[in-house]
Amino acid sequence: MLEATDLMVFYENMLALNNISISCRDNQIVGVFGANSAGKSTLMYSLSGIMLDIRKKEKMAGGERITLTGQLTFQGKDIMDMKPSDRARAGIVLCPERRRLFKESSVMENLRIGGYLATKAQARESLDYVMTLFPALQKMTKRLAGFLSGGEQQMVAIGRALMAQPKILLLDEPLMGLSPLMQATLIRAVKKIQEQSDISIIVSEQYARPVFPIVDYAYILENGAAVMEGTREELMDNPDVKSAYFGMS
Amino acid sequence: MSSQTRRKERIDRGIKVRSEGLYALMSWREMAYLILPRFMLIAGLLCLPFLMPGMYWQRVISIVCIYAIVAISFDFLAHYVGLVCLGGAFFIGTGGYIAGIFNAYFGMPPVLTIPLAAIAGGAFCTLLLLPCLPLRGVYFAIVTLMYPLFMARIIEAFDIFGGTDGILGIDSFPSAFVEQYFVVGILLVFVFGLRRLVTTDMGLIFTAVMDNDQAVRASGINITYYKAMAVFIASAMGCLAGACLTHIYMWSGISQFALDFSILPIAATVIGGAGTLVGPVIGCLILVPVSELLRDFGTLRIVFYATILVAFILFRSDGIMAFAKRKYEQIERWTQI
Repeated sequence: MLEATDLMVFYENMLALNNISISCRDNQIVGVFGANSAGKSTLMYSLSGIMLDIRKKEKMAGGERITLTGQLTFQGKDIMDMKPSDRARAGIVLCPERRRLFKESSVMENLRIGGYLATKAQARESLDYVMTLFPALQKMTKRLAGFLSGGEQQMVAIGRALMAQPKILLLDEPLMGLSPLMQATLIRAVKKIQEQSDISIIVSEQYARPVFPIVDYAYILENGAAVMEGTREELMDNPDVKSAYFGMS
Repeated sequence: MSSQTRRKERIDRGIKVRSEGLYALMSWREMAYLILPRFMLIAGLLCLPFLMPGMYWQRVISIVCIYAIVAISFDFLAHYVGLVCLGGAFFIGTGGYIAGIFNAYFGMPPVLTIPLAAIAGGAFCTLLLLPCLPLRGVYFAIVTLMYPLFMARIIEAFDIFGGTDGILGIDSFPSAFVEQYFVVGILLVFVFGLRRLVTTDMGLIFTAVMDNDQAVRASGINITYYKAMAVFIASAMGCLAGACLTHIYMWSGISQFALDFSILPIAATVIGGAGTLVGPVIGCLILVPVSELLRDFGTLRIVFYATILVAFILFRSDGIMAFAKRKYEQIERWTQI
């Protein structure tokens, strides 16, 4: 479905992504794991096209020069030069790191912004779906998003991404700063999204353990390069992975 | 895009590392790297009065320096303290009127009125801006934009200090030579003084207030005090410039509260490079003479002016200074990926 080949990103002279090739098939959950500065967010930005925006902004402000090379195909089409807005329209929807909600707007408004591209019927349908997926949101549709707890905010963020009718959902560190209980709730919800629809999901996380049970295929990034990849079972049996990303020896 | 196999990389020349602190003393070359750009600025500014043909352009140099002082005070407040202050005209007008009053009504010589206008004007401006200090961003900008209008209307309505005619019969500088070198000297002192100030502990707090005032408050620092301090420094600079302006024109009137003094320094800061402190000076050196040259076009002057500004914001929003600095410190070359 989404396939990146030889993706390279330079921030000025620093190599942030080094020859990364990843692919995500239909209705698959792909995990991307790595420590801070491994290149997870850069990868997510490159896939969703936000990187083109950042590059343009930096160029205008005379800041860092960002170089982006490689091939990126989505459903067989080359999307390397596609604008982020067009990519969202095509179905690649990013749920950004640190949630980036519209803090001064209510939960309902946040969700409606997400459904801007959808038709009215589609939006109503996805709204119902988000509400059944996260029943906790039903009671707080009028509250301001900025004053919700971290977990609730993350629910709104995922809900907002779902409202945009994604074909592939990019979740960038959805579990950041959440309690184990909340992590489990969210992960169950992500699994449900995959089971109940035909959406593919790419999820990035630092600590693999809570996410690992639901992924079909995973990549492990180190210093911008994919050092290991494989199905869940293959990686589970690998002693290096175990010690580094699960805290088990 | 995908066929791209080359990219442009930037390599540091190492000038900054080699010429910082004690390392600069290693060789003459290192010292030259450090001193030459600054020397060029100082020598250039000091030579300007000699290079100008005729009285008219020498006067323009003084005006450039006045605008430059207001511009660096704006740059300091906006990019080192985080207070976007559109009140350049407020500072100029206050300083100008204080100098005018003390000179014309009390007979004080310019040697006394200029420092007095700086201190008293700075205190007055700070006092009036004190209630607005908790405001941030555009709200502070609007309030500071209102003050010059407010002052001008008060003087007009109550007919005080000469009303619409302004204060006449103010002493001028002893000679054109003294006038130019005084403002050039003051400008240089302020540029290098402020550059020093922003690297001290106090400057560190100013920058921190801009970045995250809650964190600064959490460190047990009274941010209102530091903001007031910064406003006092900036407004004292502006008032001093205003006092010089009064003595140059031998007149102070409500046109010193005109919007020009608020807008042009900002334009100069954008063109010269925001947050560099030297940039605004260079911006003024370009903008003020350009504006004088465009005088023949009458009202269309503003159109040319606005076009230049928009072009700069669109294509070089980091400004001349940041661009020049990068060219000085880095080289660019193509490499294979």
